[in-house]
Amino acid sequence: MPKILKPNRRDVLKYGAAATTALCTPYVSRAWADTVEINMLAWYGHGEPDVVGEFEAANNVKFKPKYYAGGDNMMALIAQSPPGTYDIILSDAEFVQQLNQAGYIEEMNPADYPFDDMLYDDFKHFPGHWKDDKLYSMMVRFGHLGVSYNTTAVSDAEAASYKAFWKPEIKGKVGHFDWHLPNLGQMSLYNGNGAKLWDQDEAGWKKIQETTMSLRPQVGGFFDYGGTFNGLKNNEMMAMAGIGDWITGVLERDGAPVKSVVPTEGGIQWTESYSIGKGTPKADTVKKFIQYMLSPEGQVHSARMLAYPGFCVTKAGRALLDQKDPKEAQRTGQVDGMPNDPITLIKDGRIHYRDIPVQQSLEDWNEFWQEYKNAS
Amino acid sequence: MTTKPTTRPDYYAIAWRLPLIVWQGLFFVGPLLFMVAMSFFLVKNYRMEAAFQFSNWQRMLSKDFFWDAYFFTLWLALLATAITSVVAFPASYFLAFKASEKTRRWAIFFLIIPFFTSYLVRVFAWQVILAQSGVINAGLSFIGIGPWQMLNTQFGTMVGYLVLCLPLAVILQTFSLANIDTRLVEAAHNLGCGRLRAVFTVVMPLAKTGLVVAAVFCFILSFGDFVSPYYLGGSKPPTLSIMIVDTSKSGQQWPRAAVVAITMILTLLVVAFTAIGFAYRKRGK
Amino acid sequence: MKDDKLLRWVLAFYTALVFLFVFAPIAASLVFSFNSDRFPTIPLGTFTTDWYVKAFSNPEVWDAALRSLIVSSVTAVIATAIGFSAAYTDYRYDFRGKKAFLVLSLLPPTIPLIILALAMLGWLSMFHASGLTISIIIAHTVLCAPFAMAVIRLRLSQMDPNLEPAAWNLGASEWVTMKSVVIPFTLPSIIASLCLTAAVSFDEFAVAWFVSGLNKTVPVVILEILTGNIDPQVNAIGTAVFLVSITLVVIAQVLVMGRAKKPEAV
Repeated sequence: MPKILKPNRRDVLKYGAAATTALCTPYVSRAWADTVEINMLAWYGHGEPDVVGEFEAANNVKFKPKYYAGGDNMMALIAQSPPGTYDIILSDAEFVQQLNQAGYIEEMNPADYPFDDMLYDDFKHFPGHWKDDKLYSMMVRFGHLGVSYNTTAVSDAEAASYKAFWKPEIKGKVGHFDWHLPNLGQMSLYNGNGAKLWDQDEAGWKKIQETTMSLRPQVGGFFDYGGTFNGLKNNEMMAMAGIGDWITGVLERDGAPVKSVVPTEGGIQWTESYSIGKGTPKADTVKKFIQYMLSPEGQVHSARMLAYPGFCVTKAGRALLDQKDPKEAQRTGQVDGMPNDPITLIKDGRIHYRDIPVQQSLEDWNEFWQEYKNAS
Repeated sequence: MTTKPTTRPDYYAIAWRLPLIVWQGLFFVGPLLFMVAMSFFLVKNYRMEAAFQFSNWQRMLSKDFFWDAYFFTLWLALLATAITSVVAFPASYFLAFKASEKTRRWAIFFLIIPFFTSYLVRVFAWQVILAQSGVINAGLSFIGIGPWQMLNTQFGTMVGYLVLCLPLAVILQTFSLANIDTRLVEAAHNLGCGRLRAVFTVVMPLAKTGLVVAAVFCFILSFGDFVSPYYLGGSKPPTLSIMIVDTSKSGQQWPRAAVVAITMILTLLVVAFTAIGFAYRKRGK
Repeated sequence: MKDDKLLRWVLAFYTALVFLFVFAPIAASLVFSFNSDRFPTIPLGTFTTDWYVKAFSNPEVWDAALRSLIVSSVTAVIATAIGFSAAYTDYRYDFRGKKAFLVLSLLPPTIPLIILALAMLGWLSMFHASGLTISIIIAHTVLCAPFAMAVIRLRLSQMDPNLEPAAWNLGASEWVTMKSVVIPFTLPSIIASLCLTAAVSFDEFAVAWFVSGLNKTVPVVILEILTGNIDPQVNAIGTAVFLVSITLVVIAQVLVMGRAKKPEAV
């Protein structure tokens, strides 16, 4: 190569590199600096900057999230990945047991977490989180599912019962969040099964199926997380089964005329808990992160999460929320003494923790859901 | 052309033949055959175990909802094929016979563009356009009608299929029409054949192969698409491709998804071969 | 012929409508990407570049963009190499089983992506190879090789069949002939194929979604935003991706069209 060309090429390289660096600097410093990557398996939004940003910056880590929808989906994702892929797993409480059984999660040290500060006694010993007095998962947030509706089409009085879904005027405008568990649970509650909603014999299960099928003509669609949002926002759907404030809350904050209530038949609680992935070399960082999410600051981030809000589980978290964002605290009843305080609802027996079916297998439920979706 | 005569094995020829055979054998034929095997496997605790059981086949094929979905998907895809072909034809006709060479080249160029914009983004845009409070309904309410329910209906799904297939259909149809000897069409005119009649009796038979190939591609694309029926049709009811996503993503039922997939491939083969057979059948008669 | 003119205009108008339909969503997403509403409705909100800022300050998007770039360029190279060898084989040789060879080389695009995705996922996870960047490359190469073959075969059919024998007669070996005659002749189509396959790979989401695991590409990120927290970032990312793809396509187009015209004036 002729010598004259050399400096030219070098110049090009030099300026090119300089330009690239200049363009990317703000991102490089965050993304490619000497950071520890944490692989997270979670529901949508948990690994986004509004939740983890502060922690990432303070600890020089970077979360790499993989999102799922529904516990079955989560189990499938873990099962198909090489062992040790995920450092931290956010799971619905009712699936912790299965995670543990399959050996996907590590034991945790109870002393590391603020059990004394929990808002409610049940949360200290949440079903499935302990096995032989050993802790395997730490509850970080929860929420309630009920009747979600557009206030222009369904009145508050109507929404006090799941019957609202069958309202003739909203035929074709009732949506389902596309996961069998919360939907069929609500149908079971509508059947009057109350606290035994997950524990139904053959006859009860048959009746749940019948009730569900009778709703089919009303149904306008089956949606994932994003579709549920869009459906409610675009007025495509006037009521939505299988969800609660975790979706309508986001829209409500945005000013849309939608809300969720716990009807008289009772509501369902979703509970999200963090577990440490089996065999992760980053267990210490993960532990630190879970501690952070349970700290008052972390709890406020969770309560105000952009993707979907969840209630605080610690007293200190609630106190800080009341102080930092009183509007959101009021909206969600997270102020001691409010009538719709989620803890009060639980104490009054109106809330049932979401569980997996007791007498049938998850597969039975899933299969019926498939059939239901395909029915006309 | 002649190949250089050699006595020893022709390494040169083999070297050029092997890459494709090896790669597509390992990563195309292999996976497809494995999928057939997989359909006999069992799933326990979200993990797949090798086995040879017919239970997945039995379970899927004995379900009414599977067959409902099957015929629904078939119907939707056939409908999409018919609609796309009909919608595309006048445009292709224009581009092939009435437009200048330059216009045609530019038109084809523009029709290629959509292939390289994310189909997902386009479908998302249609979601907003078709929604109850979307662009079209806003326009309709301006002139005092509507709103119409378009999203989460079969109409929505069909729009999505059209988004997917139309550009390709127009391109393929235009190519096949442009290859027709226009003198034949003129001759028909001179013999007093009306324009419309000429289209049906001269142009379409001459371009049959290309038209059928375009239709087959429309069928393949819409038969296998899961995005439109999901995001524009509200998966109501789900198509086979949504079923594949559902069964494999939730509950790790890959074997059952494989059953659905194999049924789909068989259907595609039957449709494609019937169509191609039709396309190459001797003209005349 | 007045009648003829009228028909021409009606058809032209109709064709314009078809193009409107095809380009409406592309234009809409461009508009929405500058629109302030999170859930765009009519009337539009105010003008904003927030979604671009948000998308481009999201390290996950950059991560995905980098991965997409790697995947599509590696895919392009492998697929083009395979496509070239297949096209050359088809051009030059006749052998037993050639029909099967051609079927194998052109079949992949006729299998719905979702099925290919499922088969690939099962196959790769048997070797514990799913969820890696290389899994996406492997799958995309399967998908892209036929396109590469088609493009290069088209160019080869324009090559004078006596060109190679002439070189052999002058004493050049087959390999030398390949290097100094065939490759230079097909070079435009090779570059076109590189661009085309890169663009196909850059946009593919179904297979990538199934086999990528934690290693997401840009379209998978788009899909996750759509299934997750619907967010106009999608439009911003989509518009940016569009610009990348279209650049590749234009290069391919210019090379194929520009050169193809010369020998074959129809």
